[in-house]
Amino acid sequence: MSRRNLKKHFEILELDSDASLPEIKNAYVRLKKLYSTDSMVMTPIADEFSKKKRLEVLKQIEEAHAKLSDELKDEHQRSANLGKPGIASGNGTEGEEAESVSFSGEVLRKIREKKGIHLYEVALDTKIRVEILENIEHERFDVLPQEVYLKGHVSNYARYLLLDPRKVADDYISRYKDWKGEAKEKD
Amino acid sequence: MEKSSTEKEGKIWAIGGGKGGTGKTFITSAIGTYIAGKGKRVVLIDVDIGGANLHSFLGINRPKKSLTDFFETGASLSKLAVKTGIDNMSLISGDIHSLASDSIKFTQKLKLFRHIMKLNKNYVIIDLGGGSHNNTIDTFLMADKRVVILEPEITSVENMYHFIKNALFRKLRMSLREYGFKEIVEQMWERRQEYKIKSLRELMDHIRDSFSYVGDIIDKELSDFKLYLILNKIRSSDDILIGSSMKSIFKKYLCVDTRFVGFVEYDDSVWRSIRERRPFMLNYSLSRSAKEVEVFTENLLNGKEIKLSRS
Repeated sequence: MSRRNLKKHFEILELDSDASLPEIKNAYVRLKKLYSTDSMVMTPIADEFSKKKRLEVLKQIEEAHAKLSDELKDEHQRSANLGKPGIASGNGTEGEEAESVSFSGEVLRKIREKKGIHLYEVALDTKIRVEILENIEHERFDVLPQEVYLKGHVSNYARYLLLDPRKVADDYISRYKDWKGEAKEKD
Repeated sequence: MEKSSTEKEGKIWAIGGGKGGTGKTFITSAIGTYIAGKGKRVVLIDVDIGGANLHSFLGINRPKKSLTDFFETGASLSKLAVKTGIDNMSLISGDIHSLASDSIKFTQKLKLFRHIMKLNKNYVIIDLGGGSHNNTIDTFLMADKRVVILEPEITSVENMYHFIKNALFRKLRMSLREYGFKEIVEQMWERRQEYKIKSLRELMDHIRDSFSYVGDIIDKELSDFKLYLILNKIRSSDDILIGSSMKSIFKKYLCVDTRFVGFVEYDDSVWRSIRERRPFMLNYSLSRSAKEVEVFTENLLNGKEIKLSRS
């Protein structure tokens, strides 16, 4: 589906139809927050904004976001496959990174920051708590959950960043194991 | 986004927003001082009925002549303008308390605007004052650039929403009357319960559905009705989000496009300047708030929005 056919969804998120993935993300988080909490800005329209309306609006926002990120991820990948720069320029380096770089918490954080995504946005979507994400990025292995859970979290986070979940999880867990080995030696 | 020539050329700016005390007068004086400093000829007009005190923000005395002289004796506007002590900038006082403001006829307002447009100035900046009186709304509607000042407070949000809603309703009614469809809006609004119309948005949608040709007129009026939003007296960076939220609500519920041009943080040096009888922008030209004024004034001049790293 071309961007033109997605006009309705862009409008719901109050975006122009050339918006990038991070922009879509930002708009989605902002609007979801606006309509799901009792912002002071909603007071003048409290009469019109029934519970039913609220759910309707939130549903539209969810749909628009799901649809757009889905479609544009494809677009992004297609253009990456063709060797052309991706739509969200600056994000096109992940492919190289996936091959040459070992995924540490630091690398994940850098990739996320380059995309302009906040941790709380990741948390909202992946349902992983912000503190855990933060600990993953800072590799605070001593406070992170057990290996099986950790592996799940890391692959979810990787998927969210459009990285290969298996490769990222393997790299990350091997670092975790190294630390564990060292920790044991110390004991 | 298409840019009409009037937007860039927009000579007459109205500063309003419903609630009193949100800082319209301060912002009018600050915008004026900044633009005059760029070498443009500026005149400020104070039409804040009952609360005209723009002169105090400039550190000068209340002008002796005012728009009352224009309406009553036909004095020319250039005769009413007084020096402000700032190069390139003069002030016309709109102190019209001696004249019952309700008695100003619509044709007189049109005449005033014709004269304002003829002033040999680059920019005319009108401080509207608070309230949603028809005089205030008409002046707001006639301006080329409609600027609204919001304070991050519930009362300010509510008053601004109703101010804009009233202004839009009045504009639609006036333009539909021009086309001979005056009754449509009024009848539908009066029978809104029957039609299950709760909001202006629903009213507009309803009219559009019933009379497609009227829908075209509404669409045109709406695309002309652009707002410029400034957030004043913010106390934390979280407050900035209120500007973006207000923009969303205007779009969704009133179908109005808003440009969020900037914000100014709460700053004690504003009232200190008034006490010292010195214009803020000169007295505290290096302060953060002065820089923030510069940013949104440039955005107003260029029809741009503020760049938020995260909006």
